[in-house]
Amino acid sequence: MTAGTLLLIGGLIFLSGSALAAFYWSVKDGQLNNLPDAARTIFDDDEPVGTPTDKFPSKQ
Amino acid sequence: MKPQSLISSFNPANNPDTLASHERAEIDASTRFPVLLFFSSAIFWLLVGSLFGLISAWKMTHPALLDQMAWLTFGRLRPAHLNAVIYGWASAAGIGVGIWLMARLCRVPLLHSKLLISAAIFWNLGVLVGVLGILAGDSRSIEWLEFPGYATPILFVAYAFIGIWAIIMFRFRKPGHVYVSQWYLFAAFLWFPWLYATANILLIWQPIQGSAQGAVNWWFAHNVLGLWFTPIGLASAYYMIPKVIGRPIHSYYLSILGFWSLALFYSWNGMHHLIGGPFPAWMVSASVVASIMMFIPVVTVAINHHMTMRGHFGALKWSPTLRFTVFGAMTYTLVSLQGSSMAIPSLNTLTHFTDYTIGHAHLGLYGFFTMMMFGAMYYIVPRLTGWEWPSAQAIRWHFWLVAIGIILMVVSLSIGGVLQGLALYDPQVSFRNSLDYATPFRWLRGISGFFLLGGHLVFAGLFTAMLLKIGRPKDGPAYFTAPAKVEASPL
Repeated sequence: MTAGTLLLIGGLIFLSGSALAAFYWSVKDGQLNNLPDAARTIFDDDEPVGTPTDKFPSKQ
Repeated sequence: MKPQSLISSFNPANNPDTLASHERAEIDASTRFPVLLFFSSAIFWLLVGSLFGLISAWKMTHPALLDQMAWLTFGRLRPAHLNAVIYGWASAAGIGVGIWLMARLCRVPLLHSKLLISAAIFWNLGVLVGVLGILAGDSRSIEWLEFPGYATPILFVAYAFIGIWAIIMFRFRKPGHVYVSQWYLFAAFLWFPWLYATANILLIWQPIQGSAQGAVNWWFAHNVLGLWFTPIGLASAYYMIPKVIGRPIHSYYLSILGFWSLALFYSWNGMHHLIGGPFPAWMVSASVVASIMMFIPVVTVAINHHMTMRGHFGALKWSPTLRFTVFGAMTYTLVSLQGSSMAIPSLNTLTHFTDYTIGHAHLGLYGFFTMMMFGAMYYIVPRLTGWEWPSAQAIRWHFWLVAIGIILMVVSLSIGGVLQGLALYDPQVSFRNSLDYATPFRWLRGISGFFLLGGHLVFAGLFTAMLLKIGRPKDGPAYFTAPAKVEASPL
């Protein structure tokens, strides 16, 4: 086996492993516990739900 | 909103609303230089790439066009077009949008902007060296990897900086939920170096032999679309659509399902480019199955975006961001389902080796990804420069030129491709004559190139005006005018 092949197999194991680890972490950390609230994390008091934030520039 | 306490009444800076908007403005401001650097270079390569594409398109109908100089021949110009738009435009635009989104979603000001500025410089140097190398005749003749060997390490160094930066940002994010866009972005930032390194090791540094090269080539080329551009485009849509209309996404559960099923199925898809090729049947079959399984992530995204938009389609009238983003999101559904159908062997035999495939590729990279990036830029740039886009009319020109351009291109190439495919099937028609069926549609495709280039010039003009601060400043940190107050902007 060449160095390249070893690198590739190593990369494959690392990448698949990190995907599994990421999924395990997201469950363990409670990332998937409260999905409706999770969808609201991009809103805050200043730009709350119900506030559009983009428009065409109006004429002067 | 009412001040929370007596103190906040005296000093508006203590108002929680103002604090939140200051925090967001501070994060936006921290990303200004690297993001604008990536955006400016991306738009430069977009113009160069579209010009190359336009000339290549007309060479299909006028083979003698500009054939006096070797560096302008089709065999060099067409890969130069592909690589300029893939690496110069789409990747750089995606990285810019990704940086801004990462900072906002991590809820911390940008860390180590020098890392990103170096990345931008190296990235553009790599693209410049690569494109010039192709034009000089050093192309590797491996589709999507034509950049000569002396250009790829520069790109890889640039990329390493971005990957390291993404890990640092994620590590130092504010505690709380990791939003679905961030999953997509973080995954894309880790997948791309893996794809790029693997393809370069197996095809350039220690080339494997024979037809297996084809398998690696298409595994890479298809995954660049599916594991690099698609997650960035979707990350943008999952942020922009809810944010612009002010409504959380319809089903967060579906968004998570979509993310993990994309991660599971996409990397198997590449072999469907090789149906009928000299490969073990199981490789191609597994890929066809995975291509059909892509219905799951695609339909989850489609349902989610449609249901979020439902009742808010009127917003397309007053938001440039939304108009481009929703065009991109609808095209994503269309192009993905089309792609799955093209993996079905009986259909594939008709469309393979025809212009239909070219139409499909442009629908994906342009109709979906590029439109998504335009949409994101319309949202991001005013928040970085503090200036308002100078002309609503110019934005409408940009939208309609590129929308008509891409629809004309895809429709004409699809019809021409099917006619060409049927002619290839017909034993009465010689191969030479089968090409004649596609010719009128190639004319139309050439015309569509003028629409696209025109749209890009309008956009480049708008963007330059933003950089030079021509026009007027944005008012207030929230950048918001109630839709009722906005003048009617008919489509």
